[in-house]
Amino acid sequence: MRSFATALLVAFLFTSPARGQSLADMIDFSGYIESDTRMILDNYRGLNPGGFGDLELNRNEVNLRLGINPNDQVRAVVDTRLRYFGFSQAEQLPDLIERAKVDPYSIYLDEAYFAARGVIFSNLDLRIGRLIQNWGAVDQFNPTDNLNSRDLSDPLDFTKKVPNQMVEMSLYPAEWIDLTVVWVPVFKPAQLPPSANLAFAVEYDQAGCFKKAPIPPLSRPQMAELVDYFGSLDPCSMHFIDPQVRVLDPGRNIADSQAAAKAKLYLGPLDITLSYYYGRFGFPAAYTAVAYATPRMDEPGAQDIEYIAEVTYPRMQVAGLDFTYSADWLFGMGFMGEIAVIFPEQVDFGLRAFRGKALEIDMAHTNIPSDPFVKGTFGMDYSLPFGLYLNVMYVHGFFDEFNDMYGLHDYLVAATEFKFFDDELAFRLAGVWDITQRETGTFTPTVTWVIVPSVEIQATGIYFIGDVDPPETDGFSTYDQKWRFGQKAAGRNVASLRGRITW
Amino acid sequence: MRLALSLSLLLALSMAGTVTTSAQEKLSAIQILERMDTKINGNEDQDMDVTLTVIDTDGSEKSYDFNIKQKGNDKRLIRFNSGELKNMSILTMNQDQVYIYLPGYKKVRRVASHNMSQSFVGSDFTNADMATASFLEVYDPVLEKEDEAFWYLRLTPKPGKDTGYASLLTKVGKKDFLQWQSDFFDEKGTHVKRFAASQPKLFPGTTAEWHSHIELSDPRTGHKTTMKVNALKLNQGLKKSMFTTRYLQWAK
Repeated sequence: MRSFATALLVAFLFTSPARGQSLADMIDFSGYIESDTRMILDNYRGLNPGGFGDLELNRNEVNLRLGINPNDQVRAVVDTRLRYFGFSQAEQLPDLIERAKVDPYSIYLDEAYFAARGVIFSNLDLRIGRLIQNWGAVDQFNPTDNLNSRDLSDPLDFTKKVPNQMVEMSLYPAEWIDLTVVWVPVFKPAQLPPSANLAFAVEYDQAGCFKKAPIPPLSRPQMAELVDYFGSLDPCSMHFIDPQVRVLDPGRNIADSQAAAKAKLYLGPLDITLSYYYGRFGFPAAYTAVAYATPRMDEPGAQDIEYIAEVTYPRMQVAGLDFTYSADWLFGMGFMGEIAVIFPEQVDFGLRAFRGKALEIDMAHTNIPSDPFVKGTFGMDYSLPFGLYLNVMYVHGFFDEFNDMYGLHDYLVAATEFKFFDDELAFRLAGVWDITQRETGTFTPTVTWVIVPSVEIQATGIYFIGDVDPPETDGFSTYDQKWRFGQKAAGRNVASLRGRITW
Repeated sequence: MRLALSLSLLLALSMAGTVTTSAQEKLSAIQILERMDTKINGNEDQDMDVTLTVIDTDGSEKSYDFNIKQKGNDKRLIRFNSGELKNMSILTMNQDQVYIYLPGYKKVRRVASHNMSQSFVGSDFTNADMATASFLEVYDPVLEKEDEAFWYLRLTPKPGKDTGYASLLTKVGKKDFLQWQSDFFDEKGTHVKRFAASQPKLFPGTTAEWHSHIELSDPRTGHKTTMKVNALKLNQGLKKSMFTTRYLQWAK
């Protein structure tokens, strides 16, 4: 951040305000205060049964965004959030003397960058600092958008990104074409939702006996062998120590950085973008799992099991194309599409189990093959004259899917919004349906009331459709059978009440 | 559904001090409309701060402040300065190429033309109204009547132009070639909308008075929207590059 601060200082020292420019012209300030309370509406999607009616979230957030424009060639932006979580984290008496435990908070720096326009050449722009890039033409499901990983800390807002330090250079050689090149020195992974831990959780029955372990990405014969092995053990004799999932550091070498380029063409009713990305997939892929079984001294026949897994972020190259098209000849409907050909690094998954020092299981299977694969989104949107908006998309490959053992699914994503009373009240229904698995999806109804301009209240929620347990064939399930939205790792069914004031 | 009353009508401006055309001048309906178009879009560029107030039938009001920059008669940039839409920007590069910057998503998105028929922030204006429109490109005019001060033009959409209205009766000032009032009629002949301009004002830096108040109302319901021009600058030398997606990215 020191280099950014220096750049900012230099910008101020060596650029003079434009003649006649007032302080008000130089500075723009905006932000919001938001309060969000969420209630759990299920008893079956947590680690343990129960939880209906519990508060899942009690969050207050202040956003401050400051833009500084010393002249029309220089701009600096700082966008920050102060987030209070609203639940005490005090577990021991000494915690109660720490404000951060009693009233925990986080500070987010979403953007902090310096931009210069017309540097070296009049048609060249530069942005350096902490930035968020949003590439792609479709809404939310953008396979060509890989520079910033997703921030899924809030399952109700999966459009957020993890900001990252980067250098962006944009060239505007003609009205019909824009060129952009971005370099991101250090890769940052996606922030996962709190429910993600459940993907690696070991479950027990009411008697405290082992019930279920995470399903590894292995072939069906390998899974059959694994099930046979565990089936020979007494489930009440296995005491799992809290599983550890280690994240392999992608590295900080120049070869581990990310780079991307795109060319956007404006062709009348059609906008087309060609893009290329070199970097890593932002979501973790299962890499290794090792279990160590150690006999318990205090309980003959019983054993402690230490389970350590590793996840990695596979390298990839992405060649992308996206378009938007306004079809005046078809009621003015809007069409948009995005296709990405992904060249992944191969990831082989290995699983080992030791009893004492004896290696009892040793399996390996390719989790992600190196074969290129395609992800794509195609959609349309349309507004009816009486205030009804409709957006429908076909998605091949969800944003966290990477052609691993789970595969790539097809989805139907639809959203409709109806506005009433001079846009003061809006009712929105959105849903995702997994066409591949057919019995799983999400449903999100939202009512937004703009009480007065700047002040809005929103009631929303999310409901996950699908069984939490995958279907079993021959008495067991494989990695690819996990219900896309039914599995517990997807999150809880919740209702949310939000209030926000914007300035 | 382009009303063609367009926000350009905000600039339907009473430049009373510079009027040279005499009422006696015999002009055809097309010439009158042409002169009106020229008057509206005749400046190199325009930059104005506006307050839009939506007044519901029960008298309740809501207001939004925004800035409008325009170059020529086809490029326009609107940026919201207040309300829940603050920092949202709408760029019209031409009638068929509209982009919106959504601050919540930090993304520039192209808007398909279906969206142009939607209400602009719940007001009586549509998004198409907020884009630039030339009357002569959209309407065929017929001189229906005239009096000492005004011409009354009956405007009907040109073949293939879907304006959402069957006709307009537009009152054009003989001294200033400005659109003082327009009544909009649907296919059944029902009077569905009225545009009225008033309160001429001399803004600092300008050489003639401009209407500072526009009202668009629905005579059937009483619902109306007013626009108040708080500040106006003309011919500031706004660069063409300001009306590009590059600028939307820059100013975000």
